[in-house]
Amino acid sequence: MKKKLVLMTVLIFGLSVALISCVTTPVKPTNKNFIAPKVTLAGFEVPQYDGYWYFSSKVKPTKGKAGNRGSMLPLSFLFNVQNENPYPILLNGMIFTVVFDKEFSLVTYNNQDEYWIPAGKTDQIRATTLITARSALLSLLVTGGFKLKAKGWSPWKALETWWKGVPDGTTPINITECSFSFEADGVSKIYPYEIQAQ
Amino acid sequence: MKKSIFLKILVIFLAVAFLAGFSTIAVAKKIKVGGLNDTTGATSDVGKDYAIGMAEAFKYINSQGGVNGKKIKYVWFDYGYRIPEAITKYKLLKRLGNIAIMGWGTGDTEALSPTVNKDKIPYVSASYSAHLTDPKKTPYNLFFSSDYSTNARSAITAWFDKKWPKHKDFGKRKPRFACVYMFASPYGSAPIKAIKDQAKLLGFEIGPDQDVSLFAIDTKSQVMALKPFKPDLLWHGNTTMSVAATVRDAYALGLGTDWIINNWGFDENLPRLAGKAAEGVMGATPCAFFGQNYKNMDLVVSSAQLYNPGVPVGKRLIRTVQAWGDALVLWEAMKRADKKGVDLTKKGCGPAIMKEGFETMRNFDIGLGAAPISFTATDHRPATGCLIQEWKGGKFQTVEAVDLKKRWPKLWATKWLGW
Repeated sequence: MKKKLVLMTVLIFGLSVALISCVTTPVKPTNKNFIAPKVTLAGFEVPQYDGYWYFSSKVKPTKGKAGNRGSMLPLSFLFNVQNENPYPILLNGMIFTVVFDKEFSLVTYNNQDEYWIPAGKTDQIRATTLITARSALLSLLVTGGFKLKAKGWSPWKALETWWKGVPDGTTPINITECSFSFEADGVSKIYPYEIQAQ
Repeated sequence: MKKSIFLKILVIFLAVAFLAGFSTIAVAKKIKVGGLNDTTGATSDVGKDYAIGMAEAFKYINSQGGVNGKKIKYVWFDYGYRIPEAITKYKLLKRLGNIAIMGWGTGDTEALSPTVNKDKIPYVSASYSAHLTDPKKTPYNLFFSSDYSTNARSAITAWFDKKWPKHKDFGKRKPRFACVYMFASPYGSAPIKAIKDQAKLLGFEIGPDQDVSLFAIDTKSQVMALKPFKPDLLWHGNTTMSVAATVRDAYALGLGTDWIINNWGFDENLPRLAGKAAEGVMGATPCAFFGQNYKNMDLVVSSAQLYNPGVPVGKRLIRTVQAWGDALVLWEAMKRADKKGVDLTKKGCGPAIMKEGFETMRNFDIGLGAAPISFTATDHRPATGCLIQEWKGGKFQTVEAVDLKKRWPKLWATKWLGW
């Protein structure tokens, strides 16, 4: 009986080791052999559109409290992240700024979620930002006030144009100051990307 | 018997599977630190650079082994400079088990302060309001920099020491001084009482305040309102964009005044936006500008290049350096607390971080052109003065390093804490 038990244990152990060796990466990640993943945009959409509107705090709402509030504009970006490495890599951070009309930074997106991308595979990662006409107004005034003035644009006109032009596909949208962070077995890499969304 | 064999095999199999299969994903507990930043709101002109600088600092800290070998998990959110959102995100960060939080604006930091006190979570902010420096009222609020009131007192003192004696009316009359800031902004209004107190102490005549929004790009009416007073010196307490607008308008309308600016309005973008009008403008600089030759600046610059390669180095600001200042001071506090046996991975370690970490610091040098940092159980003013610089001849130059404690030791010790 004992002999049987020993044999079975050895067999199971051997099988386990064999199985593990099958799934273990044959190539160890190093700084030298790490291939920069290709990041491209698979799609861009406004997942929920509520038109363009703005109420100042002087307007009494039907329900709830008055405040300076504007319609939201969610922007959803679907990225293809292609891992050409012969080992899995961990995407553990991405940051980018969304720019309207080539020069107006409206939102900086940051995400530190973790996604494993298998060796030689392409994964899709979705990043959704949310701005409102109110938040965009404030951001625009402090970061783009002089640029608007130089162009002779009023901030309200710019917002209305974008709130209508973004879902229509007529407002140029760029992803700038973008970087994705990756890790593989202790090797960390961060790569910059510039992407035109529309 | 069969059952026994089966159980033995199962145990062995599970042991093998556990050791081989899961050992690669076994993770040591991390120290959780949260962050609230403004990358889309009313202070995003300075907040974005700060936010990415803070993330870079924590990446650097982890690359150096974290806190005595324990890595930090830093998670941050953009709250768009909206106080309700800051409160919501703070609660989320607390629920997630963060043992310290890197905060942002004065409005939300002051609004959150009673909650932070109750929760006993060290809250290291980018707001340097002096209201946060008295541990009797705000025992868990901290920052690395000289506070806004110290900045303001130092700035007006430096002008009085270095510029007023060269004025044609020196010795003939009192210098005339007024303040420009957004009245409704907690940041803008925080040091006003202190700077007017300092103006009285130095013998200024004080004129009417002017309300300039943080979003202003046209300030001609406020400049015109100041003209009858003929100010020799104006304090601007806003952020860079509206400061640049006011300085430009004052220059164009021939107001003929000197400027002293609080630290969030005085950065590398000011001369870019204000052009010629920025010549001679002075400001509070609680740390060096990005890339200036100071201890540890090489780490800041190389980390910016390494961790955010998408952002050109030429666009980086002093805000990154300020973020590092707060990160480094928290790092040091955590290292000290950890050495004393405090478990930083457990909720509720805030009081121990304060006692064994922050409040043991005496003249701690973080480099970066910052003043040596001290915290005691009775005084959370990190620095006793501030370096005042001016934009002159295409570069930032030192005007004077003012040490208020040395100059007015009794007032510093007995009168100026907490406002």
